[in-house]
Amino acid sequence: MDIIVCIKQIYDLAQIKVDSASRRPVTEGVAKKLSDFDKNALEEAIRIREKHGGKVLAIIRGTKDAAKEVLAMGADEAVIYEIESDSLGTATFLAGMIQNMKYDLILCGEASIDEYSFQIGPRLAQALGIAVLTYARRIELKEGGIVGERDLENGYELAEAKLPALVTVTKDINEPRIPTLVQILGASKKKITETGHAKPESGVETLSIQAVEMKRKGIILKDIGELARVIISEK
Amino acid sequence: MIGVNMDFSFSEEQELFRKSVRGFCEKKLAPRAGEIDEKGEIPNDVLADMAGFGLLGMTISEKYGGSGADFTEASIAAEEIARADISMATAVYYLVEAGWGFLMERYGTAKAREEILPGVTNGKNFLGIASTEATGGSDIASISTTLEKKEGKLVVNGAKSFISGVREAEKYGGGYVTIVKTEQEPGHKGLSVCYLPVKDTPGINTSIFKQMGREGISTGAINITNVEIPEHYLIGEWNRGIHYAMEGFNCARTLVAAACIGAAEKALESGIEYIKERQAFGTPLAKFEGIQFQMADDYARLESARLLVYRAAWMLDQMYGKNRFSHGEINKAVACCKLVAPTTAFDIIRDVLTWYGAYGYTREAGLERGLRGVYSYIIGAEGAMNIMRIIIGKEILGKDFTPY
Repeated sequence: MDIIVCIKQIYDLAQIKVDSASRRPVTEGVAKKLSDFDKNALEEAIRIREKHGGKVLAIIRGTKDAAKEVLAMGADEAVIYEIESDSLGTATFLAGMIQNMKYDLILCGEASIDEYSFQIGPRLAQALGIAVLTYARRIELKEGGIVGERDLENGYELAEAKLPALVTVTKDINEPRIPTLVQILGASKKKITETGHAKPESGVETLSIQAVEMKRKGIILKDIGELARVIISEK
Repeated sequence: MIGVNMDFSFSEEQELFRKSVRGFCEKKLAPRAGEIDEKGEIPNDVLADMAGFGLLGMTISEKYGGSGADFTEASIAAEEIARADISMATAVYYLVEAGWGFLMERYGTAKAREEILPGVTNGKNFLGIASTEATGGSDIASISTTLEKKEGKLVVNGAKSFISGVREAEKYGGGYVTIVKTEQEPGHKGLSVCYLPVKDTPGINTSIFKQMGREGISTGAINITNVEIPEHYLIGEWNRGIHYAMEGFNCARTLVAAACIGAAEKALESGIEYIKERQAFGTPLAKFEGIQFQMADDYARLESARLLVYRAAWMLDQMYGKNRFSHGEINKAVACCKLVAPTTAFDIIRDVLTWYGAYGYTREAGLERGLRGVYSYIIGAEGAMNIMRIIIGKEILGKDFTPY
């Protein structure tokens, strides 16, 4: 079973401060980390390999640091790239890279936790012409195919696809492992391929990123009754 | 570019390891820190998780189930463990095993290593250090616990006191790297080192002391009456114990200092957040120079202690890995970090606790347990402050100026 996992390295959002004058996020000196759900995707890939054998290739939007962590967790090989584009551009770029590779399964996080576009997985599957199961909270391999438990808002559904397929996973699917010292040191010999910085055409231009303005309304209420009336009227 | 080879940064692997241990400790240890202090023990499942993550006996090689960590890596782990449990209890459990387990592997017999070390790394047994006696810990030459050869066996007699982990060694099994007198020679001559099993050993009686701090790991006394141990439990050569003891102390002291700065770092970080938020007289506390300057001093002192710790750890790694640095140079570097780190950590935790005001004085704030724990290293666990001064003095001035 050859599995490809798509991973994004993001700023650790918990560390980001907002500049009070410009309302822009200050990213200087902020540590980076692997996007949470992508780690779930990687964990699932490693578990499948541990059970069925094969190889896990991680394709990472990020730096060598990110690759080292991914390899320490258990991926066999990593490719790193940087890109300036929108979701369509990124998915198209990934498809270009993946289409000539040998794979049975592609796993992605349901979304990256910085942009939450939820688009890379489905767009990548579309570009590769393979089936996609989104929001999987459990997956199981079966003869030539895969069954996924898709998390819907009011329940779940079982969906089945033939391999090769792409699955996007939710955080409920597993608990990602934390690499130990032995795993970290053992991963230092694994292969990391750098593909450079891509800048494909993009249909979206980001003009600026600003934090939402938080302002208290400063309304002083007399009593509970008035408070209740305000709450009801604002509903 | 003469300075081009001097690099104060950690390697990518070291940074990743720190991130990993922090992630592990934030998840598995930090939420239990209050419980560890209140109940006076580290829960079994926490120890099992630590063993599973490769943190117990982590300097022991992979052959015996350890992680084969060097002292830079082991110091990173000590720092992170103490960040998560600033009472120091978990750090003590960790560091005596990492420090003295390393010594055991280096100088213990193959048979003893195979018997003892796997139980340490898998978290089933405890391994500690038994040096101090009721008459004192600093004056190592006055040790009166004896080891004698009798009919193909070794017999130990005497008593050790203020020993960390006595209840753990009895409960989980395991024992101690023990410093004993083998020849009635004056001074440091005539000392040897052996492994003393504690659980279910005929002739061993233990008692536990109630302590001021780091209550998650016990401290007690071990009475030893005609305890027979096999010959392969001798560690290193007969009558050369002082050298092994100094080596073990250097390893453990570096980790002690690393743990102290970890606890202080955690406290200072929380203090910095607090003084930015907390207002008095309509102004954040951080704007008062009385607070801000104290914070700046604390930060600078912490950074200096941290540099001393990692230089000592790096020197140990250079010595063991590349045969660089003499034992004298190592003694001095380690004594410097063990002299500076505990006091620095104590002062910083006290400052932060004071910034917190009345809340700082509550148990809920979690700072007082750091203060109580770190103080044990000012008193002298793993070597008193004045002993560190004597070591530094001796290395600078020479043996002719040694006071005792």
